[in-house]
Amino acid sequence: MRLKSVSLCFVSIAMFLLLSAGQALSNGNLMMFAAYGGKDEIFREFKKDTGITVEYLSMSSGEVLSRVRAEKGKPIGDVWFGGGVDSFIAAKADGLLEHYVPKGAQAIPTQFRDKDGYWTGVSLVTVSFIVNKEVCKEKGVEIPQTWQDLLNPAFKGEILMSNPSISGTAYTILTGILQTMGVEKGWEYLDKLNAQIPYYAKRGSEPPKKAALGEVMVGLSPGTYEELAKEGYPVTGVLPKDGTPWWPAPAAIFKGTKNLKEAKAFMDWCTSKKGQEILKKYCVRVPTRSDVNPPEILSAVKEANLMTIDFEKAGKERDALVKKWQERHAK
Amino acid sequence: MAGKTRQIKNLKKSFEIASLPGQIIVLIIISSVLFFILWPVVSVLVKSIIIDGKIDFSCYADLFTRNRGLLANSIFVACLSTILSVFFGTCIALYLTHTNHFGKKIVFGTLLVTMISPPFVSSLSYIMLFGKRGLITHNLLGLSLNPYGWQGIVIMQSVGYTTLCSLIIAGVIRGIDRNLEQASLDLGAGKIETLIKVTLPLAKPGLIVAALIACVKSLSDFGTPIIIGGGFNVLATESYLNVIGLYNLPMAASMSVLLLIPALLAFIYYRRQIRFSNFFSGRMNTNGIMAFRITGFIDLVIILVTWSFVLFEILKYSTIFWGAFAKTWGFNYAFTLKHIKTINFEKLGSIIRSLEYAFIAGMVGTIIGLILSYLIGRKKIWGCEFFDFISTLPFMIPGTFFGIGYIIAFHDEPFALTGTGFIIVVNCIFRQLPISTKAGLAVLTQIDPELEFSAQDLGAGRLSRIKDIIFPMMKPAFLVSFINTFTTTMTTIGAIIFLISPSSKVATVVMFDAIQNGNVGQGAVFANIIIIVVVFVNIGFSKLLLRHHGIRTG
Repeated sequence: MRLKSVSLCFVSIAMFLLLSAGQALSNGNLMMFAAYGGKDEIFREFKKDTGITVEYLSMSSGEVLSRVRAEKGKPIGDVWFGGGVDSFIAAKADGLLEHYVPKGAQAIPTQFRDKDGYWTGVSLVTVSFIVNKEVCKEKGVEIPQTWQDLLNPAFKGEILMSNPSISGTAYTILTGILQTMGVEKGWEYLDKLNAQIPYYAKRGSEPPKKAALGEVMVGLSPGTYEELAKEGYPVTGVLPKDGTPWWPAPAAIFKGTKNLKEAKAFMDWCTSKKGQEILKKYCVRVPTRSDVNPPEILSAVKEANLMTIDFEKAGKERDALVKKWQERHAK
Repeated sequence: MAGKTRQIKNLKKSFEIASLPGQIIVLIIISSVLFFILWPVVSVLVKSIIIDGKIDFSCYADLFTRNRGLLANSIFVACLSTILSVFFGTCIALYLTHTNHFGKKIVFGTLLVTMISPPFVSSLSYIMLFGKRGLITHNLLGLSLNPYGWQGIVIMQSVGYTTLCSLIIAGVIRGIDRNLEQASLDLGAGKIETLIKVTLPLAKPGLIVAALIACVKSLSDFGTPIIIGGGFNVLATESYLNVIGLYNLPMAASMSVLLLIPALLAFIYYRRQIRFSNFFSGRMNTNGIMAFRITGFIDLVIILVTWSFVLFEILKYSTIFWGAFAKTWGFNYAFTLKHIKTINFEKLGSIIRSLEYAFIAGMVGTIIGLILSYLIGRKKIWGCEFFDFISTLPFMIPGTFFGIGYIIAFHDEPFALTGTGFIIVVNCIFRQLPISTKAGLAVLTQIDPELEFSAQDLGAGRLSRIKDIIFPMMKPAFLVSFINTFTTTMTTIGAIIFLISPSSKVATVVMFDAIQNGNVGQGAVFANIIIIVVVFVNIGFSKLLLRHHGIRTG
């Protein structure tokens, strides 16, 4: 018995040492920081096509940016896949991204990719109202269709949005409204909206989840309602008729990657026609390539009134805008 | 007394760790404690005052005035959660030790299972049960309460910490000499008077440790306020958001320092009250005859608190359990196997990785903790007090603080360790080291040094004294330490969220990802796998370790 315990100790110490050694050997796989739906399936298809294995970590783009900044040009990851475009712009400004224009880029309109070639949009993310149909029916309220509809007194305390300092979605809403309505009118509207919102969620994923559970009637979120509806929650998604905030979900290579060849292969693959079809299949979004049709369920996006947003400007203004927002609205 | 001190001194002299291997082990342990605890903590402090290469106290300039509200919120919640969880814990401990009511096994079993609390799902099940559309509040009682705010945080925290408080307090109460209570009764004191004037004062070390643990845990908890705090913010949450939202590491570091002040005060109070007590010994004195049974009003309170707790936890864990089989968790509870079917081999890989990390962390952490406790307890090294303090540090500081410290300290050459599985395991080991060391010290104080002395007189060598006397008696401490480190490594996320890399993804991260992406059912499946695996390992390990040993396990 005692011998057993002693040998158990030795075995675990040996495992401990092996662990550190094994880590150094596990190179050759593509390391990815990702914020995208259907990752397992997408990366399985990628492996089928190229033979490259992807290991990924799900992180919101704010988390990725903090981490890459802390890692000071010696990134753990090779590729950054999906997330808020504002973080990619900030990372580019900090010199954290590798310059690469993927082979499929010509087929992607220039407004969906970086003009200097540091990041490339792979799909469009649209902000929608995730509405709990059941609660609306119970309370006899029409499903809101526009930003103005949200100011209906029936929605007081029933709208959830995440904190723009954390969530790329919320920041896009903020900047989209200010850029389209104009600064003065925009803040006026945001003040009124602020009065309807009980508190700002601290995670981007929270508004849709709470809307699904009926804790609030409306959650402002990127289009994840298909997944929630598939799970069986009584939700629907509405693209606001008086202007839908949107952004291109980019992919980029981190500067200093050890697997540059594999990283480039992924960039080429996800901007290729076949790759874009696969992305669309496992994560329902509008592809950026003009020769790939949007998924049927999102054909509404074609007719949607997409806001005209200057992302470079949004990226530059981020710190100042968030600060102003915090002074006015943070609760 | 004087004779004993002299004997200890003699023992010390003859017991020096003189041989070369011994010295090497001591050196490794000491330097690892300095390197993996002190260095990351110092790194964070340095980071908060050196901005862009210059010494700059701007983060501290108006730190207090700016965050006064947040600090007050943190302390307010911590005080309430501490008082409530110690109160609940005491009631449940007394139910186990001083009553003859039925279902003690159920109560004890509930405590053992609720030790394992995977992150997020507990808060999620709280919303499902007591939210605006909650099963109980809305569907059963027809209410539409707003569960978000400090009330929600206090309820979740105090119920959550009640488990640990009960186990600690029950351990101490069981260790109380029954004769003292009996004497009090014989001298004419009533049961209530005996309880208040004899039993509880004797259990004071346990009450204080329980309070310290609850208080520090509450101060450093950022997960619960994020999910159910609503508009109510605390310091730990804001510090976390400063890192992930505003990328402001110096600010986050200075806020963590602010958080350290109440934690430090709590710790100083604890040190003044007790030094080493035997609350972690894990030894249950079951054959001690109960001196008296509590009756009357207090008995009613105890019954009410205990069974409310058990009911609450059973509801919570059934909700989590059923989440794995419900069509739409929180909305449609019809049975389905579709979530189970989505668990494939790749996803199970993260559970195996978690198990591997947790097992290694449990073993190595326990060995380091017990050796350290021996060095401190038997005063084998210079500056024991200092090392005792250092080894308690990880317990006082918030998990995120410790995690951030690791990124800062171990990113650059020559100590570039970030991105490895090694750093995650090390982080878990040293985060739990205080419990491992305290468990060892508690047992050591029960072993009379004279025992080692007499063994030496009888001709036992240094090695055989450790092997034949210390090691067998340390078994309960080994068990407590291993189970604690193993369980927390399996369920932790706070400290390691900044250290995970794509190739070292653990089960809690996969679970979090599933919930994040709206795949709540799959998240619930993961939570259940974690709970079941940990219960089995803990039971199996206890059986294996205590099989040939005369220790009463209760």
